[in-house]
Formats: sequence, structure tokens, C-alpha cells
Amino acid sequence: MTITRREWMLAAACWAEVLRAQTQKFAWFDPAAAAEINAIACQIIPDDDTPGADRAGVIWFIDRSLAGYDADKRELYQRGLGEMQTKRAEMFPGSSSIASLTKDQQIQLLRAMEKSEFFQLVRYHTILGFFGNPTYGGNRDQVGWKLVGVEYTMHYEPPFGYYDAEAAKAGSQ
Amino acid sequence: MSVAFRHSDAVDFVVLGVGAAGGVMAKELSTAGFRVVALEQGPWRHEKDFNHDEIAVAERGGLINDHKKQPNTFRKTPAEKAKVQPAVGYCQTVGGGSVHFTANYWRFHPEDFHERSAFGAVPGADLRDWPISYDDLEPYYTKAEWDLGISGLGGSNPFDGPRSKPYPLPPMPVKSSGVLFERAAKKLGWHPFPAPMAVLSQPYRGRAACVHCGFCEQFGCEMGAKSSSMTLLPKAIKTGRCEIRPGSYVRKIEVGKDGRVHGVIYFDSAKREIFQRAKAVVVCANGAETPRLLLMSKSNAFPHGLANSHGNVGKYLMFDNGGYAVGVFEHPLNEYKSIVVTRVLHDFYRADPKRGFYGGAGLDARFDMLPIAFALNGTPPDAPRWGAEWKKTVGHYYTHMMGSLAHTSCLAVEDNSISLDDEVKDAWGMPAMRVTFKNHPDDLKTIQFATERQKELLTEAGAKKIWFAPGTMDETTFSVHLMGTCRMGDDPATSVVNKWNRAHDVPNLFLVDGSSLVTAARQQPTETIQALAYRTADHIQQSARRGEI
Repeated sequence: MTITRREWMLAAACWAEVLRAQTQKFAWFDPAAAAEINAIACQIIPDDDTPGADRAGVIWFIDRSLAGYDADKRELYQRGLGEMQTKRAEMFPGSSSIASLTKDQQIQLLRAMEKSEFFQLVRYHTILGFFGNPTYGGNRDQVGWKLVGVEYTMHYEPPFGYYDAEAAKAGSQ
Repeated sequence: MSVAFRHSDAVDFVVLGVGAAGGVMAKELSTAGFRVVALEQGPWRHEKDFNHDEIAVAERGGLINDHKKQPNTFRKTPAEKAKVQPAVGYCQTVGGGSVHFTANYWRFHPEDFHERSAFGAVPGADLRDWPISYDDLEPYYTKAEWDLGISGLGGSNPFDGPRSKPYPLPPMPVKSSGVLFERAAKKLGWHPFPAPMAVLSQPYRGRAACVHCGFCEQFGCEMGAKSSSMTLLPKAIKTGRCEIRPGSYVRKIEVGKDGRVHGVIYFDSAKREIFQRAKAVVVCANGAETPRLLLMSKSNAFPHGLANSHGNVGKYLMFDNGGYAVGVFEHPLNEYKSIVVTRVLHDFYRADPKRGFYGGAGLDARFDMLPIAFALNGTPPDAPRWGAEWKKTVGHYYTHMMGSLAHTSCLAVEDNSISLDDEVKDAWGMPAMRVTFKNHPDDLKTIQFATERQKELLTEAGAKKIWFAPGTMDETTFSVHLMGTCRMGDDPATSVVNKWNRAHDVPNLFLVDGSSLVTAARQQPTETIQALAYRTADHIQQSARRGEI
């Protein structure tokens, strides 16, 4: 797909993964659909003061899932994205894609569609791609685990948290 | 020393299902000198096969039964038509549920064995006394704790029955959730105690201690520090008398004209049908698969299913119940580290007639939400479900929260059952498991009662925000604790096995798993299931010596 300068300026963000796609090939998505799904994922977990779905590479997780384990969900992706495009055209006449909507427009569109099975599935996949094991293609640099404050190692030692540390200190005095 | 028995060779025992109970039976019977073939549906995984992969294990059910191959159907009441829906989940691997369980290891209380006498009848339920007492089982509770390696502090729970020996290992280190829980409970005049856990707090009999990785519930332990029945199997294999056959899907227990069982028919992993001869059969397939297998084992002698002459097989299914309360605190708790539960209390365990309904609850301090599970469904119901605000909540709450689960009672109700579906088949062409279940009104009242105690506790602990996980008050609460479907009793007209876990109808058939439980106590059935297995194994040895099997 081509991106006009105007679209670039209007877009909410989230082009990093689309640009990356110019060098890395998707296993199942065509790049235009990937850009649309990525735009949705980027409103579910936005990149703000900390990394979100774009920086985590969630779209690569979704692509790999649809190419393999979740192949039976492809049809829902295709149909659901189609329905979302219809809704977009209805809500924002003259717009050409979800990715090219403004951030506020994207949020309005997703709010209107958030009860749909398709949105729920994209939310599910976005969360798996953001917080799952990085070997599945998402959670790049463990940004998901960093967001929730998990220091990911194979073992820990007490004290684990503030209150048990406090109790241990009180007990040893 | 591995051994391979011939199918035509009538081994002393075939054990069906190598789970919490089956692992104990395989080890106890083989070390006692019997020749044992143990059949398991799942693969034989070892420590090296386990991992910390939340997508594979928790989201894609890596260790549990595959509902695509083994569909369930479900209905709330017998009047409804059952629809395909996952209802029963169990760990399908050598070691069974004891591999992936949270590792809570509670003894039942003495009064659990005679609640009918203590409380009286409950309309709409069939509450019964057990044919055995706590004292009958106590030596085997102790045996299980020492054989497997349990960490805890004997005598710290004032509501527990007497014990003949302390726990072999000291309690696990307390977490922040345990500290907050204990402080609050004491202020409320309650009696918190260190959770007894099937996790090694110190090295034990050649096994390494827990490293607090935080992946207990749903996962197998990579360290071998969880005291699953897997840890017993090397002793069984070493005898040269125990053969474990993973990937075996049993479809029928065969009965002869003499009314005794002679072996089992199963599909191996290549779906070849095999008949393994045996002198006796011990079914440890869990509280759902055991009744299903008996119902599938129809014969001229047992046209309604094996050991089912009075139509009791599959009835009185009990699940576990209880709400999950969550509290958010000022400082980080980092509950993702270490084991799930470190403190428990049993102050509301006894069914007190003054409450006006049957039931009781144990409460714990716990945290068992991995990041994906938390992000999907763990945020408060009044918070957004996606977007920038949601992301902030997820980021802040995860390390600052703890849970408290109520372990509430579940009454035995005749209509709640496991049966065979009339239409749906599994991937082997066998009838699908049909689950019928709806909570008794007293069970729902008990859940409600417990939620009030949970709120009091988290409030006293200083939680800034408290909420309950969705589904707390549902009429049907599917669970992984499968109990009561072939219950134990003295009267063959109202029970399936006798007080030695032997089928009333068939002298050389034993059923040992959650199916024999007469009451569900306050959940956490694993220790009682395993104690029953040790007791049955003991009884079998003595009976065999007298030639009475």
C-alpha cells in the first residue's frame, strides 16, 4: 500500500510495524490488512509514555497465529475487518482506511464495535501478543512484562514484596 | 529397570489413570511385590518438558484434555438437551492433576466425615456420612505427607483434626499477601495459619527445593519441587514390576461370566485396540472419566454399566465453588513471585446451622494471575477493557494486588451427574461425556456468605479497592475438582464402592479417585484422594495375602 503525506500526518501513530513489513514478510497477512489490524491493536494497547502494541510487535504475533495455531480464525478476521470498514465509511465518510483515521476517530470507531466478536478476538490476540512469551513474535524486548513490573527470571528469593519485607524486618528486630 | 508385560499375560493389577491416586497405587502395589500395568491417556512428560509459556500452557491448554478430541456436552438439568460445551477439564499427563495443581494440600476435618449426623438432612440434596472416620484415614494422611514431601506447620490450624506426626518440611516463606491476610485476620479475631503445600520448602529425599519461580498453578514444575505423584514413579519403575503405558485410551473394562473383571480394552497411541489381561483392575481416572468408563463398560452381567446395578454410577457430581476477591494495596506485593498461597483460615469451615443454610468455607490469601490472564479479565469490572486508561490500570495494579479465594462447599445432588451423551462421540468413536450440573441453593448462599467475609478481610487488610472476579454467583461453576460420582458407602443400594474403595458389585474392581468422595468438604480434595489411595493399597495387600481379591 502507498501512504500519502497527508495520511502520514493524520495517522494516529503505529507506522513502525508497517514500515518494518517492507523488509520482513508476513506469513499470512497482506500488508494492507496488517496495517489496519495494527491500527486497531495500537488503540487497544497504545504506545504512549511506555511501549504499546506497535513497539511490542503484536502484529507479528497475530500474523504467526493466523498462519498456524489460529488458522480457523482467519475467516473471522476477514469478515470482521470488512464489517469494521463498512462502519468506518459510515461514521467517517471520505476516509480511506482505519490506519489513516485520527486517533480520536479510531477510538470512536472501536467503541462502536467493541461488543463485536471480531473486536474481542483482536483484543484477545493483542493481549497475547503483548504479554506472551517473546518467542511467539510479540512482547519484543519484554515490553509487556516491563509494563506490569515483572522482572522475568527463573527464580526469586524472599522478600518478594513490600509487606513481607516489612514483616521480616519487624521479626528480626 | 523398565519392564514390558505381554498383553496376554494376566498381570496382578491394571491401574487406569496415572494421576494423583493412580501414581500412588502404581508405586504402592509394585513395591509391595505385585505386577502392575498402568495406563495413562496423556504423554509421560518430565521436568525438562515443562516451561513457563503462558500461551502454550494456560491459553492453549497444553497439559489438559483436548475438548476437540474429547468433547463434553452440558446441561443444567436433566430436562434440558445437552449442548457441546467444555465442562470438565483435567490434566492429561503422567502424574495427572498433581502435576499442574496449585499444590494446596489440606486434610479434611474430622467433622467432614459425619456432617449428616452433625447437621441433619438438607432438602434437595443427599448429604450423607462417610462409612469411615477421620481416624481411619489419619495414618494415610500422614503417610502421604511424608512420602510426597509436604511443607506446613502442624498444629497451627486450630480447626484441624489430631495428627500423628508433624509435616516433614517447614512452611514455605510467607508472601506479602500472606502477611496482609494474617494481620487482618488476627485483628478480626480469626485464626490464619501457614498454608500446607505440596511444594518443597527444603531439599527432600534427593529432590531440590522450590526456587519461587511463580509458575505452579496450571504448570508442571521444572525443578521437581512440586510434590506430584510423578515423584513417586521412579520407585515403581525401579521394582521392575511396573510398566507405565502413556497414550492409552481405555474404552471398556471386560467382565467374565463369573462377574469378575478380566482386563481392559484400550486404544494405544496409534489407535490400535489392545486387550490387556489382569487379575484385578484399579480405576483412578478421576471423578468424571471413572464413571464414564464404567457406564461405557456394558455387559450381559451389567447392562447399565459396570458396578452400576443400583444406578448410582455418575450421580452426585460435586464441583468446587467459591468467589475470588481481589484487593489493591498501596505498596508493591509482587505476588507473581513464588507459590500461589501462603496463608489460609478455616474459621468459617464448619456448617453452622445458625446461618440458616448448609455450608462453610476456607479462605486463602492467593495470587494466581499471570500477565495474560490478568490483562484479559483481571481488571476491575468498572474499569475500561482497553485503551490508554486500561493500560495504566494494568501497569499499576499487577504488582500491587492480591486475591483471596473462598473454598466453599458443594452439596451432593442426585441430578448433578456424569452420563453418556446419546449423540455426540469422541475422536475414538466413544460416547461423549455429558455433564449435568446446577448448584444447590445452599451452595449459592454459602458463596454469598463467604464473599462478605472476604470483603471484611481485604478491607481490614487496607485494600484501596476491592472487587470480585466475574462468575462468582453463577448457577454452574465448572471446576477441575471432580468429586462424588461413585461414592463410598456401606449400603450397595446408595453407593458404588465400599469403605475400602472396592466396588460393591465386583470383588476385583477398585475405584480410587475423587469419585469416591461422599462430601466435598471445603475443596482441596487432593490429599484426601491420595490418602484413600494409600489406604486402599494397604487393604489390597492384606486382602491379597488372605486370597480375598
